[in-house]
Amino acid sequence: MGLKPKNILLTVLMAGALLAGFLCCLLLPDREFSLSERRKLAAMPELSAENLLSGAFAEDFETYVQDQFPGREGFRSLKALTETYALGKLDNNGLYLAEGHLSKLDYPLNEQMLDHAAERFRYLYDTYLAGKGMKIYLAVIPDKNVFLAGQSGRLTYDYQALVSAVREKADYMEYIDLFSVLSLDDYYRTDSHWRQERLLPVAERLAGAMGAELPRAEYKENTLDTPFFGVYSGQSALPVSPDALVYLTGGAIDGCTVTGYGSGSPEAMPMYDLGKGQGRDPYELFLSGSQPVITIENPNAETHRELIIFRDSYASALAPLLAGAYARITLVDIRYVQSAALDRFVDFDRQDVLFLYSSTLLNSSLALR
Amino acid sequence: MLFSSLSFLYYFLPCVLIIYFLAPKKLKNSVLLLSSLFFYAWGEPKYVLLMLLAILCGYLFALLIERYRGRRLSRLFLILSVSLSAAILGFFKYADFFIQNFNAVTSLSLPLLRIALPIGISFYTFQLISYTVDVYRGVPAQRSFIDLAAYISLFPQLIAGPIVRYSQIAEQLSSRRHSLDKAALGIRRFILGLGKKVLIANAMGQLCQIFRASQDKSVLFFWLYAIANMLHIYFDFSGYSDMAIGLGKLFGFDFPENFNYPYISRSVTEFWRRWHISLGSWFRDYVYIPMGGNRVSRPRWLLNLLTVWLLTGFWHGAAWNFIVWGLFFAVFLILEKLWLLKHLEKAPVLGRVYVLFTVMLSFIIFSAENMGQALSSLSSLFGAGGLPLLSAECLYYLKSYAVLLLIAVVGATPLPRLLLQRLGIRPGGEKLRNLLEVPALLLILALSTAYLVDGSFNPFLYFRF
Repeated sequence: MGLKPKNILLTVLMAGALLAGFLCCLLLPDREFSLSERRKLAAMPELSAENLLSGAFAEDFETYVQDQFPGREGFRSLKALTETYALGKLDNNGLYLAEGHLSKLDYPLNEQMLDHAAERFRYLYDTYLAGKGMKIYLAVIPDKNVFLAGQSGRLTYDYQALVSAVREKADYMEYIDLFSVLSLDDYYRTDSHWRQERLLPVAERLAGAMGAELPRAEYKENTLDTPFFGVYSGQSALPVSPDALVYLTGGAIDGCTVTGYGSGSPEAMPMYDLGKGQGRDPYELFLSGSQPVITIENPNAETHRELIIFRDSYASALAPLLAGAYARITLVDIRYVQSAALDRFVDFDRQDVLFLYSSTLLNSSLALR
Repeated sequence: MLFSSLSFLYYFLPCVLIIYFLAPKKLKNSVLLLSSLFFYAWGEPKYVLLMLLAILCGYLFALLIERYRGRRLSRLFLILSVSLSAAILGFFKYADFFIQNFNAVTSLSLPLLRIALPIGISFYTFQLISYTVDVYRGVPAQRSFIDLAAYISLFPQLIAGPIVRYSQIAEQLSSRRHSLDKAALGIRRFILGLGKKVLIANAMGQLCQIFRASQDKSVLFFWLYAIANMLHIYFDFSGYSDMAIGLGKLFGFDFPENFNYPYISRSVTEFWRRWHISLGSWFRDYVYIPMGGNRVSRPRWLLNLLTVWLLTGFWHGAAWNFIVWGLFFAVFLILEKLWLLKHLEKAPVLGRVYVLFTVMLSFIIFSAENMGQALSSLSSLFGAGGLPLLSAECLYYLKSYAVLLLIAVVGATPLPRLLLQRLGIRPGGEKLRNLLEVPALLLILALSTAYLVDGSFNPFLYFRF
């Protein structure tokens, strides 16, 4: 190619790219939500004299253009691929791909966060549990980084140090180890959560440690007919094959009734919300996702024992598997309800109590209220 | 507005280019002026009036200087003009620095003014000073306020230079050539600058930010930071200059070069002939030489050098670390001029190592929040404070950024250019090079867009200039 044609081509293509970008930005309709990133996208900022003069309009406009840029998903993937494969970066925006799994760097160990979590637990203990003869247990769910980060050369910290620190701060709880019954395969490849169909050993370990009897049961594996692109899949923007989302039925699960208190008053809800399985976050299929308080009642239970689980999202997939061992399980998520207001929903009276939290949440516990 | 932003690339630039090339020749400077004012007002609406006022003063003073040329009044107007520009810069940029130091010395507690620094004030006040001085020295004053305002506020070079002197583009303001070849040259330069800023400088900046936030520092991490910081500043600044020069060409201007592979210099003297060339030559022509340069007694000459470098440092920011940074270079420049230079010329490899080491240390001072932090970082490079030699975090980021560091180090040398030149002289090489150039440039544009869309780290380094 000669100099002249090259210059013409370069000028035309550059002008075309800028013009096409400009016209697409101007003409394409704005999107409200990014399914892959699972977040609301910025809207056109309000045009006012105050916004303009303060410089806020300019700042918000840049965010708006970033969020609404035509082909945003493709550009994000281009960047992720460049970072990961061309530049050999070990993570892109803190997310990485190793051994077929997507994960997010969980580093460093944050003592202040552990203190905060311990302080919230102590509040619950002092306010609702102490002096009632209740058995109180603690189990820490290992983040999948436990099985992936160190082995793949990513930044990691000593998870046993986290467990030790929490145990030390919550010495009124009896610790149940879950690290030894889990492996990387027990987690979705594209999501942070664990796979329900792999959790029977976890349920048995917990029930056994709490002295409850989990009846032997045959569960049926049901696979959601839509592919499950987990939270890391969209965030990483790397092209990865989806997971299959499997939920278990049978055993005690089918006879249970589930009641949620999300609206402040009791409402019946399904154990598995198949509608949410088709929604923005298919993992919300399990117990309908974020809920402050849920009860699972098992009318066929051969016991009157009850269990209260203070929990995060991991317990949504696990709790149905514990249903056979208890007449009633109450799940409390103090990220969505003030600890001080719990006695409006829960009657604390001689139940077993399990604090079941993922290491990720403990190391980033500000959301605990 | 930043060049390395989506709003600039895909809103502002296409609009301005369309209007500019549709406008008749006599209105082109008006289009440039209005666009530049919009560009400036986008982030700093309240300071547009300040800039226009400063330009108006420069415009009127230059006419008066010209009118009374050869008479004492001309000198008086020059002094008034320069003093006014210096006062604007002094008030908006340095007032709080002086108040803080006055308070520290006198134990008083005068309240700080806390004025937000108008972006680009250091650049446009220097251009105004050079304009009136040039007029005093005989360059004809600009009759058209629009042309002068377009020159001073010209958005390609308004916020980060290069410092374009009036005499360099006076002719181009009234008649300049637009051609496809020049536009293509400008596009090429702009995209390369964009890539330098978005793909390399921002990544190096991010590494520096990671270092600063780290609780797991080690001696090696300090060295990694020092090198990344050097590369960050170079690619950021030279990338911005490339974009400015490229945009200038799109609009028919030829701006002066600002960087010429400074990290291959064999002496600090050479480094400053290759680094921020427009600033160095500005201080030489408007401060150093008027003070007598080197044609004075040795003590006076040393004083001239120290003054120029103190001002150079101070120009970069209103804090002691910038002053120390300037004087740090003054010490090496004096040493070289008195003794070291002749030895360095005989040992080019040693010279390069010496320059890289000296500049690396200087940029630690430059980037520090204050002198205490600068001294602490400098001493940590050599293991002070009981730091471990290595840390897990350092090794992780060293590995993670290894390819980028390598690209940045090689990219800071003329090696890629030489390789392309060598390819050009091989049979069929020129053809291959031409064939690959356009896709390569478009790939850089696409990648830069991708990094901006993803909301990657994109700091603005010039907020203190």
